[in-house]
Amino acid sequence: MSDVHDLEPQAFLEEVHSFEFWFQAVEGYLSGTTWGHRPDAIESPMSAEDRDRLITVLCNYCVGEAAALEGASGLIVIAPNRLAKVFLATQVADEGRHLEVFYHRMRDLGVSDPEREVERRASGSLQTFRRRLLELVASKDWEAAIFAQNVILESLEFAVFQDHAREADPVTAEVLRGVVKDERRHIGFGENELGRRVASAPHIRARLGQIKKELDHLVLEALEETNLLLGLPRDEHERLGRIYLESVARLGFAT
Amino acid sequence: MADFLSAYSIQNWLESCPQGYLDGTVFGHKPGEQEIEILKSNDVLHEDAIRTTVQLVVGERCALAASSGLINSAPDEASKRFLATQTLDEARHVEIFTHRLYDLGIRKDALEATIKEYANPNLVKFAGVLLEKVDKKDFVAGVVGQNIVLEGMAFSVFEMMYAMNEEMNPKFAHTLSGTIADERRHVGFGENRIGSLIKENPDRRPDVERMQKDMSYFMLATFADAFRNSEAVDELERIGQERSHTRFHGADLGALAPEEMEDLLATTVLKEFKTRLGRIGLEYQTPARP
Repeated sequence: MSDVHDLEPQAFLEEVHSFEFWFQAVEGYLSGTTWGHRPDAIESPMSAEDRDRLITVLCNYCVGEAAALEGASGLIVIAPNRLAKVFLATQVADEGRHLEVFYHRMRDLGVSDPEREVERRASGSLQTFRRRLLELVASKDWEAAIFAQNVILESLEFAVFQDHAREADPVTAEVLRGVVKDERRHIGFGENELGRRVASAPHIRARLGQIKKELDHLVLEALEETNLLLGLPRDEHERLGRIYLESVARLGFAT
Repeated sequence: MADFLSAYSIQNWLESCPQGYLDGTVFGHKPGEQEIEILKSNDVLHEDAIRTTVQLVVGERCALAASSGLINSAPDEASKRFLATQTLDEARHVEIFTHRLYDLGIRKDALEATIKEYANPNLVKFAGVLLEKVDKKDFVAGVVGQNIVLEGMAFSVFEMMYAMNEEMNPKFAHTLSGTIADERRHVGFGENRIGSLIKENPDRRPDVERMQKDMSYFMLATFADAFRNSEAVDELERIGQERSHTRFHGADLGALAPEEMEDLLATTVLKEFKTRLGRIGLEYQTPARP
């Protein structure tokens, strides 16, 4: 097979939502890494203040990843077909890995009990988002939960991680770049799954628009908190907010 | 506990599973391996292979629903992360056994109807007992049901099937060997993690032991249906095809009658249950024999 996009729609889904596809994809960028980075990646010197800020940022990333892990695992049982279930299982393993590499990064930075640190430092708006996402999953509302998880949350993480990777210390940057590659796959699944449904039942778009309206302020608040911690200037805050909104809009959910 | 759970990290899983024993495989077997011709050309053996594979898909679908469903009720992050790897293992098993059905000639649009037609009702009830606990977010019962009972059963069933197919059908045997390695890890987690939880919650014992007894009964009923109704052994004899004389727990599988194979498998699994449940502080409950 030269390009999966040349396949017929059903054959395409059989291919890209399979364990085999995931296996080949992650093998390409995780092979030879330990805890998400090359074992010989060099730590750069960091002031105590920068280190502390980075720990808080990582705590917030862990809340997002824990929400994604719990959300994706809860979605498997309500997924409408085997291929969606298998894809979500690969996503569950990805989200578990993200949580693990962020915890490990915190240990590298001197945090002895990352779970406790996350509880202590996590952003309130992200925790509210996590609760709301899990409510949508528990209500077995497939479209709404996939939208909140694979469009809103993944787009937020994609925008933040990609941006942070540009400025981060070398080890954190490598970890983030690996995570971003996974997020791209997850967003693709959400886009594909919802795109087909919205096209065949336009009333779904209006319902998803309501959910976006409800969740946007939580996402933008979380972004603001992270930006302050990363020490970004005001115009950068707005730029990152725009990146998030544009990436959701690109998926056809601008309203 | 933290040290024991670190052995079940995703990093370890990546190194031992996708980058270890699955490296170089396609849908769990070596590239280019095919199902043996006789399974395609002989109607009785073909149907028997489909029926058997459907039970594997049903069992793995249950394991996928259970392991993913348990993540949200896990009491700590490290257990959630281990269950994330188990979720993906189970999804892989669903995928490879589904692919075996395709290899046996089942059309993709006939997959669900085939599963519905051949799924053993007792296996479906077995799954129902477990998934009820998972639905109720009962982590202790769910892990015992999933990682001790279901995985313990799967482990012995796969080992027996592996022994029967090692010489006759290397493609299927290779598919099974990767799943056996996965199941070993899952059972290990169940024993290690749940032992401490049972100690902390002794009041949960009667309920969990009752679940084990119910699941064991439906498991034995599934074995009874599978062996007593199978025509494969008779058909092999009729066409003069020698059975494979590999050994499983000291017995020559090529010399046993179906009911003797059923007894051997049931005895093996129940003995394993007794040992493993004893290790985690639960008393094995003898199920009725169907």
